[in-house]
Amino acid sequence: MIEDEKELSDSICAYLANEQFICERALDFHSAVEKISLYEYACIILDINLPDGNGLEILRELKKGNKLDGVLIISARNSLDDKVFALKAGADDYLTKPFHLPELSARVAAIIRRKSFEGKTQVSLNELTLDLSEKTVHVNDKPVDLTRKEYELLLYFISNKNKVIAKNAIAEHLWGDNMDLADNYDFIYTHIKNLRKKLIQAGAADYIKSIYGMGYKFNS
Amino acid sequence: MKLFTKYNRINLVATIIIFLFSSAAFYVAIRYILVSQVDDDLRIEQREIETYVKGHNVLPEAISVKDQKIDYHLVSERLKKREFKTVDGFDQEDKEKSSYRVLQFGLNAGDKQYDVTVAKSLEGTDDLADSILLITSTTILLILIVSFLINRFLLRRLWKPFYDALGTVKKFKIDKKQSLNFPSTNIEEFSFMNQILEKATRQAQEDYLLLKEFTENASHEMQTPLAIMRSKLDLLIQGENLSEEQTKTIQSTYQAIEKLARLNQSLLLLAKIENNQFAGTSLVNFKQKIEEKIDSFNELWQNQNIAISQSLKDVSVKMNPELADILLNNLLSNATRHNFSQGSIRIELTDENMKIINSSSQKELDQQRLFSRFYKQPEGKGQNGLGLSIIKQICDVSGFSVCYSFDGKQHFFTISWRN
Repeated sequence: MIEDEKELSDSICAYLANEQFICERALDFHSAVEKISLYEYACIILDINLPDGNGLEILRELKKGNKLDGVLIISARNSLDDKVFALKAGADDYLTKPFHLPELSARVAAIIRRKSFEGKTQVSLNELTLDLSEKTVHVNDKPVDLTRKEYELLLYFISNKNKVIAKNAIAEHLWGDNMDLADNYDFIYTHIKNLRKKLIQAGAADYIKSIYGMGYKFNS
Repeated sequence: MKLFTKYNRINLVATIIIFLFSSAAFYVAIRYILVSQVDDDLRIEQREIETYVKGHNVLPEAISVKDQKIDYHLVSERLKKREFKTVDGFDQEDKEKSSYRVLQFGLNAGDKQYDVTVAKSLEGTDDLADSILLITSTTILLILIVSFLINRFLLRRLWKPFYDALGTVKKFKIDKKQSLNFPSTNIEEFSFMNQILEKATRQAQEDYLLLKEFTENASHEMQTPLAIMRSKLDLLIQGENLSEEQTKTIQSTYQAIEKLARLNQSLLLLAKIENNQFAGTSLVNFKQKIEEKIDSFNELWQNQNIAISQSLKDVSVKMNPELADILLNNLLSNATRHNFSQGSIRIELTDENMKIINSSSQKELDQQRLFSRFYKQPEGKGQNGLGLSIIKQICDVSGFSVCYSFDGKQHFFTISWRN
């Protein structure tokens, strides 16, 4: 976790630690460069604006050393050019501040899946099996017919299992921040209701709990 | 009209007028001098006749030479005063009309009274008028030809550095990090102009970069604290034993942060559009873009039972693709947000314009203030009032025009591709 803002770094690490990730932190450019040269990481969360250097330099350093560490850029710059530039430089993903922690967690999980289990494109949880390349879901090997949004929602929940996810975070995940409609939560409710119904009908447990006034939680 | 065409036109007209006037004045002056000379000759002739008559007491023989005729008329009462006049006559020799200067005076010869008429041809002065006319018109013709040639060849060469400089400035793009190279010239005014242009464009580029940097920095400075606030709330709600009161407080804080984040994003977007940071354009297929948007909005519309209809022509428009995306997002979000359940949205796309028509429970919007920043309708709670100014700004930089109308039930937003 390379981020100069200690408070943000604290929050991210606290959230990820619950997901059974081991999170190591660097608060400045130099300690970051030192750490990446010494160790290998499944995923590096990298802030571009560091007080004593540019995060993209670290990315270049990684690529020069042929390191396989996954890189998720977090940046306040939200222009398309910056995103394209970072992805071309070899980053795996790009997330604009301010983000929701569940979103970050889901992106980190995706990067780690891609990097560390090459060829493995399935995520399993109890009786649920998600095929990531086919984008399909099976309950006890029986296929469940989900819409694209429902599938995305399920994967998002599984990436943040046992966590309360705020409605706002779900809305932003499903619709992106462009749509400017995040204050309309009715449609989230509809999607979640449908997803829950379909999973239960297929024989899965009732995983999704509503946390009153706040959001939802996927209990594994 | 080119500066020099204009200058030349004025110059030529003035020259020709002055020339015509001076020719006329010249003619009048020369004629006056010639006529007074002829008058002097006539006076000498009179004196000679009078001297002869005084000496011999008879009239001299009237000899008419080529240019001069003398006539005597016997009268009962002779002229008391001599008088000069100009008359038209007929030249027997040359067989043409010419004018004559005539002197009439009376005298006594013997005991008779005579009126004497001495006439002298003015042929020379008539010829003079002709030659002056000829010289004038030839000179005017020459002036026209010479000024045309000067225009055509000399001026074009003289002004070349100016047009070169214009061409260079035309290629200037503020967001490209390229310094302008003005062709060197030894004309003082042009090299001075080039220096100034070079300085101004360099300054503009530097300012632009500074502004861009400022925008980015401002974005960073605001986004990070927002990210911290959001992340802290994301952690806070993980707590097991939150009371309903606490839940409500957290939810309101979430909403406020959401609003702030969106506001920040909108302001930055406006600043970026104003700074021309979306300069790159390409042909955007609007039919395709709209269909994509309909796809992603559809769930939302179905959820609210909003009926969507469209009539889309295959139209491509030159603009920045990122802005095209934002424009459609904003227009459709607007049409959705201000709609009601069982309402409708219609999208029309033609070669001339794009129309977004939506039903709404809201009254007509204020035409004057509609697109100004932070304009809010009474019912538009929770909106930051920047959506429409972003739409306007995007249209401005893309060379489109946007207008709004209301037919009592439906709100029309029309984007015309040609301004």
